[in-house]
Amino acid sequence: MSKERVSRRQFLSYTLTGVGGFMAAGMLMPMVRFAVDPVLKAEAGGDFIPTPKKVSEITKEPVRVDFKFKQKDAWYESEVTETAWVYKDDNGKIIALSPVCKHLGCTVNWNTDKEHPDQFFCPCHYGRYTKDGTNVPNTPPLAPLDVYPYKEKDGYLYLGKAKPRKEA
Amino acid sequence: MKWIPQDIDTYLNAKEYVDTAVIPIYSISFGGEMKQSAAAAEFITLLTSQLERQFTGRLLLFPPFTYLKNENSEKVLNDLQNWEKNIVKGDFKHIFYLTSDIEWKAHEEKLGGALIWLPSLLLEQMTESQKVEIINSQVKQLLILFTQKWQEKG
Ligand code: FES
Repeated sequence: MSKERVSRRQFLSYTLTGVGGFMAAGMLMPMVRFAVDPVLKAEAGGDFIPTPKKVSEITKEPVRVDFKFKQKDAWYESEVTETAWVYKDDNGKIIALSPVCKHLGCTVNWNTDKEHPDQFFCPCHYGRYTKDGTNVPNTPPLAPLDVYPYKEKDGYLYLGKAKPRKEA
Repeated sequence: MKWIPQDIDTYLNAKEYVDTAVIPIYSISFGGEMKQSAAAAEFITLLTSQLERQFTGRLLLFPPFTYLKNENSEKVLNDLQNWEKNIVKGDFKHIFYLTSDIEWKAHEEKLGGALIWLPSLLLEQMTESQKVEIINSQVKQLLILFTQKWQEKG
């Protein structure tokens, strides 16, 4: 372990001092990190991000919840805003659905199609999903909406990384 | 979809679903107007990228059409018309131009696509969340406009 540490530090100091080393380090560091320390990767996958939504305020009606976090893109960090549709099902269980349409990725909205109330609706090619996120047959999407794992902390809703479900 | 290789791959595989082209338009000026020009660019960039997030599956966001503010406006118009010709040839049914430069309003008729003019907002003094909120409310308006246009031509 200690041997590895030294070699990593050496590697970094070499790249950092080189011409353009700053950029190279930015690109290589994530790879090196995963290669050297797989534990770090696992940790990043299990991150829960705080949302401004109080768990006590969640009702049976799906509402938009926006939350922000920092994402590393290639070599710079940017702030991304993600959205979830959040509600409680009939058993009082919290459901947080990804708004990303499984057809080609547009953002779906709740209850905006007058002909099909109480469904998620995708304005792009009229894809539809029932309240639990299941895709409606004969509309373009072929899979249900992804689901966010969630946690409750200090009364607030925390969301993880949205995961795909099995096909309906 | 954005003008990046992955998205273009998706586009090429799903062309029949992507019938809308969005072109951000902004000018570049120097001297006293430099900052205003940068602010307009920031505004249009944020707006179009939010729009792209909403409608990823149906539109392709082109790289911005930029020009020098002091350039001859006939020439600039000609250039844009040239873009338009090529975009139409590329099978896009709907073309939207987004700009905060009021001068384009005068040329609206000379373009086949829809010109959407929005006054640039001073995003500079806003916090990150205010920005998001403002831009989102603008995008909501555009959402209505886009869906209308889509329904018009089927
Ligand atoms: S992207 Fe949602 S239906 Fe096509």
